[in-house]
Amino acid sequence: MQYSPALIDHFRNPRNAGIMRNPDGVGEGEYKDCMDLVRFHLRVRDGRVVEARFQAYGCGPTIAAASAATEVATGCALEALVELSAARVEAAVGGLPEPRRHAAEVAALGLRAAARDALSRADTRSDRHA
Amino acid sequence: MNRKVYLDHNASTPVHPEVVAAMLPYFSEHFGNPSSVHGFGREAREGLETAREQVAHFLRVGKEEIVFTSGGTESDNMAIKGVAMGRRRGHLITSKIEHHAVLRAVQNLETLGFEATYLDVDGDGLVDPEAVRRAIRPETILISIMHANSEIGTIQPAREIGAVAREHGIPFHVDAVQTLGKAPIDLDAFNIDMLSFSAHKIYGPKGVAGLYIRKGTKMVSVQHGGEHERRRRAGTENVPGIVGLGRAVEIRGRDMADEAVRLTALRDRLWEGIRGRVPDVRLNGHPTRRLPGTCNICFRHVESESIVLGLDLKGVGVSAGSACTSGNVEPSYVLVAMGVPVEWSMGAVRHSLGRSTTAEDIDYVVESTAPLVAKLRSAMPARA
Repeated sequence: MQYSPALIDHFRNPRNAGIMRNPDGVGEGEYKDCMDLVRFHLRVRDGRVVEARFQAYGCGPTIAAASAATEVATGCALEALVELSAARVEAAVGGLPEPRRHAAEVAALGLRAAARDALSRADTRSDRHA
Repeated sequence: MNRKVYLDHNASTPVHPEVVAAMLPYFSEHFGNPSSVHGFGREAREGLETAREQVAHFLRVGKEEIVFTSGGTESDNMAIKGVAMGRRRGHLITSKIEHHAVLRAVQNLETLGFEATYLDVDGDGLVDPEAVRRAIRPETILISIMHANSEIGTIQPAREIGAVAREHGIPFHVDAVQTLGKAPIDLDAFNIDMLSFSAHKIYGPKGVAGLYIRKGTKMVSVQHGGEHERRRRAGTENVPGIVGLGRAVEIRGRDMADEAVRLTALRDRLWEGIRGRVPDVRLNGHPTRRLPGTCNICFRHVESESIVLGLDLKGVGVSAGSACTSGNVEPSYVLVAMGVPVEWSMGAVRHSLGRSTTAEDIDYVVESTAPLVAKLRSAMPARA
């Protein structure tokens, strides 16, 4: 299988791998057919992601897509992140071969879930302060 | 600059330089059709028959019992369908861990009204000869059990299974694509009636293989056309390839015993090295009754393709036990049949060593694997 240089770089040197203390949002993407699991932790300031970290179980492209997705997320407004497409993640790893497209899907799924979680926590906080 | 280490010899091997040298004259010099009567044809026929003698000599059988084919898959299909089509109906016995060339040939026969039993294997991948005996029915027409499995390397008790087959007068086919020239096979002592083998697993070219058919075995041709191969396999013979197969087999006869000792030591060095450096690993296949160069290791909770990619980036070629196709991961059917739990089988990696493998290569693979698996595990989420 031929992978892009960007994908190989993310696999070889994953960005933002690991967990985060007291995150503002947590979300998972799972692709049961493939047993892939990606989890994201987000730090949010003023409605924007200032830090994203990931953990991933899966094939090389899934690990690379999760790594690239953290870079996509950083600086992104939560409202935009809940609409994140798999195509955007795929572009960030320089494209994926057809049999590995699910790698971008599982990463986008996880990031959208983390963004929704962060938004709901923010709503809860504003309700408390109201 | 990374080292280059090829540990995928069960997939294919580089052609031996002596094999290339033997083949070269048969492309442009002795290019005739071996069925032709003239001198050009006779030169090609000579190469063909020399190769047949080389294979027959190695197997200690008659040269008229050797048929050349286009690959191990064709040899398996020829044996299984050739026997079945000659009987028109009946029951076949095979195992759950056969190569797809056997499994799908048998499944195809089931769609035509034949019946089949797929035997279980134990945790080491062994077929129980007594299970073969219990599966035999009055209408059983063929027993087809491989000699060694390509993924795990476990060598089956072919002698004992052959004894059961002979006792009941049932033809015994053995897929020896992974073992010919790597582990001893005694066709008479094992009561083997048909044996599939292939060139490119033993430093010969791709696209050429053979089937031994014991004299008197009742079967029909499944490929029709000319009178080639004593009317058992129609089609002009791949003369350069067959010459290469003959030379490759001859070289195995010379090198096999010494290489088996060397590769067994390297194979065990690899397993000991990995086991000493990486926690949560297990060896798949029989601990000793195994092909000299095959070492299949499960890395628990790691996905095998990520290890294959990581090692590829270090210049190491190994193969994944689980295959992810179109977003659907199938753990190896061989490991499933052996009862290996899914959290292990998803992380199976096959290392298959060969004549060029050195101790330095093995140490490099161990040194490359340990930090890679640690890194993959460090980024891994705990499942709820």
